[in-house]
Amino acid sequence: MGRYVVRRIIQAIPVILGATFLIYALVFLLPGDPITALAGEKRADPTVVAVLQERYHLNDPFFVQYWYYLSHLFTGDFGEDYRGNAVVDVMSAAFPYTINLALTALGIEMAVGVTAGVAAALKRGRFIDNVVMISTLMVISIPVFVIGFVLQLVLGVKLKTDYGIDFFPVSFNEEAGFRSYLMPAYVLASTSLAYVARLTRASLIEVMRADYVRTAVAKGLSPFRVVVRHGLRNALIPIVTFLGMDLGGLMGGAVITEGIFNIPGVGHQLFQSVYLRERTIVVGIVSALVLVYLFANLVVDLLYAVLDPRIRYE
Amino acid sequence: MRLTKTMRWTALAACTALAISACSTSGGKSATDQASGGSGKKGGSISVELGEPQHGLVPQNTAESEGSEVLNALFSGLVEYDNDTSVPKLRVAESIESPDATTWTIKLKDGYTFHNGEKVTAKSFVDAWNYGANQDNAQEALPFFDKILGSDELAPGKGKTPATKELKGLKVVDDKTFTVTLKAPFSQFKTMLGYNAFFPLPTAFFTDPKAFDDAPIGNGPFQMDGKWEHNKQIKVKRYENFPAAEGKAKLDTVTFKIYEKLETAYNDLRADTIQITDKLPVSAMATVASEFGDRYIYKPESGVGYIGFPIATNPAFANADVRKAISMAIDRESITKTIFSGTRKPADDFISPIIPGYRKGALGDVAKYDPAKAKALFTQAGGLPGNTMEIGYNADGGHKEWIEAVGNQLKANLGVEVTYKPFEKFGAILTALGDKAYSGAFRMAWSMDYPSAENYLRPIFSKVAIDNGSNYGGYVNEEFEALLAKADSAKTDEESLKLYQQADDVLIKDVPYIPIYTYMSSAAYTKTVKNVKVNAQGQMDLANVELA
Repeated sequence: MGRYVVRRIIQAIPVILGATFLIYALVFLLPGDPITALAGEKRADPTVVAVLQERYHLNDPFFVQYWYYLSHLFTGDFGEDYRGNAVVDVMSAAFPYTINLALTALGIEMAVGVTAGVAAALKRGRFIDNVVMISTLMVISIPVFVIGFVLQLVLGVKLKTDYGIDFFPVSFNEEAGFRSYLMPAYVLASTSLAYVARLTRASLIEVMRADYVRTAVAKGLSPFRVVVRHGLRNALIPIVTFLGMDLGGLMGGAVITEGIFNIPGVGHQLFQSVYLRERTIVVGIVSALVLVYLFANLVVDLLYAVLDPRIRYE
Repeated sequence: MRLTKTMRWTALAACTALAISACSTSGGKSATDQASGGSGKKGGSISVELGEPQHGLVPQNTAESEGSEVLNALFSGLVEYDNDTSVPKLRVAESIESPDATTWTIKLKDGYTFHNGEKVTAKSFVDAWNYGANQDNAQEALPFFDKILGSDELAPGKGKTPATKELKGLKVVDDKTFTVTLKAPFSQFKTMLGYNAFFPLPTAFFTDPKAFDDAPIGNGPFQMDGKWEHNKQIKVKRYENFPAAEGKAKLDTVTFKIYEKLETAYNDLRADTIQITDKLPVSAMATVASEFGDRYIYKPESGVGYIGFPIATNPAFANADVRKAISMAIDRESITKTIFSGTRKPADDFISPIIPGYRKGALGDVAKYDPAKAKALFTQAGGLPGNTMEIGYNADGGHKEWIEAVGNQLKANLGVEVTYKPFEKFGAILTALGDKAYSGAFRMAWSMDYPSAENYLRPIFSKVAIDNGSNYGGYVNEEFEALLAKADSAKTDEESLKLYQQADDVLIKDVPYIPIYTYMSSAAYTKTVKNVKVNAQGQMDLANVELA
């Protein structure tokens, strides 16, 4: 398995390089000049613009600019943005928030989604099943920002002003610690959670019909053991695949949630940087997100072996 | 290769541990240190709304509202503006005098110090201005120094290097006095000096300018409390050595909480997590008055919105009567009411209502909605070639709705075919107009740098502003130029104001742009604070805020 992991890591290198090139080129092709973007609503002084363009090599052809970037990158220098902040600092300030948010969301997704799915599968066609199916359908069809603003207003504002319960901060608040992540993480997880519940339900219903489950029941194993050890374990494979893919999606897709709850994370930073044409930051963040994707996929593949010992790696 | 069970679970645990350890945020515990003695009346701590500033917190490099909001708490300028009337009052300056509006003598008061203890002297100002005027330093506020003698040598233009580092027009006389010589008389110079480009800098700045970006050392009522935490917050605390007579801050600390969305800030205000916001989201406009009552501040601010015409590059718009007819065919009242739900007011002068020199209804017929007269004038003036017109706007600022409303009114009232050209952002229109690549009508807006009638005329409509300012229409009128020059060299404020108004009259006759609306500033605060005031630039006067 060691060789398998090493091979996967080596495969990741061209993917990362290709991704930086593509992103760099895409941001380069966006219309608009980063220096005038920085000036906002007023016209930047032409002399100042010229000095800054010179400083950041903005008048050079694309490949020259990319070469500057790449040669810095090889020395471990991610460069600086057009305001003079080091990209490494910007990224290390933003990533922890998003990782916390995404992992909390993933936790909620797993706990709530899988539980709801199992409950629905075991009570197929009964009341519980209907509740899960209808509520997940609703969550999937309501846009994320609507869920976000409604929860913020109800749990953040109303609960505090009308009932004096100050448990869910309206916006991200360092002092509130983990509580700050609960509401946004739930909002971020909501759509995936619904998919996880439906996927679990379908997968488990399928597995429960399998011969080995029938055997397990016939052996007289306890219903819990039958469902968890024999049923769910096998039903989890498609769910783990989904969750693995989703982790990267949660991190990259946090733009809306981070905006609503004012979390100073990667989504927020990425949105701002694309708007301001901060090439170096965009490329840095996206490359890091690609790494997260690759890593999550590797973990998923390794987890298959844990769930189903018949799967081996060469 | 076969995995043993323990190996598998160890691998899983290692992966999880790796992911979790990567994400411990710095648990920045910020206790609100209550009433730390001091001579402030009450003490206490509050939080207020802010957007992430664009640049480091250097006064000479800040030209946008978010950064200036913080700088106004951290710095005191030579003059400051009255919250209600916008009239300049002396602050750090003891006197600012000139016999001829060209040579100015500025004397400083005693008692002002920087937050690191250094005295605020004449040199603090001269050094700061020399720094800002030098193109090598690429400061945003560079154009503000171009009235001072010698500025061309410090900013010789693209590809050239400044030969000197000092403005010829600045001379330190002694610790408390310096003189400024301008290239030409400028009666509004004193008024300009409250703008943050003219704030002083301590010597510590020049040894490490980069450090200033996140932790500036000012001379104002508040000093930094820690560093700027990007995208999160900027904390400031009362500066205890601020001269008491000059309005020492009353609060112990103020936290500028940085928001991405105004809606979120407004919800935080309703939950009393922040105490003041000077920007309200449009979605709040319907309910804010009933929710906040007299803690809702609604007053005109400095912005003016226009429809502009590229007069110099497009002959179709060269006839003033055509522009006037277009102006008369626009129903400003209905646009401000229905589209902006009262957050804008119809414009009736080129000069903003908050500025001394504004005349109510000065635009007269030009701004009066009269479809019949508009149509008659439009036909008589020959209309537009092909009977079509294009209006460009930036799609990033919520302008689509009102521009299309204007277009519909022009279609209905003048019978012209109107098309729209959305630009991806404001900078894109400016570039297109600057390169003469776009020749349609366009949306434009201006908000003042300093409260003077002159600031609504020269930067937008004068000849010099074609290359270096905001005259995107390329409008030129010699009579207008002559009146501005005469007003600049006037001996008294009344005389200069009268002449600026005459220049304004020339614009009203020529209508190079058509003013559509003026912006209103809206702010709100919670029950926990009092004495909240917002100035004409829409900024909070934080030094006077107290806990209720």
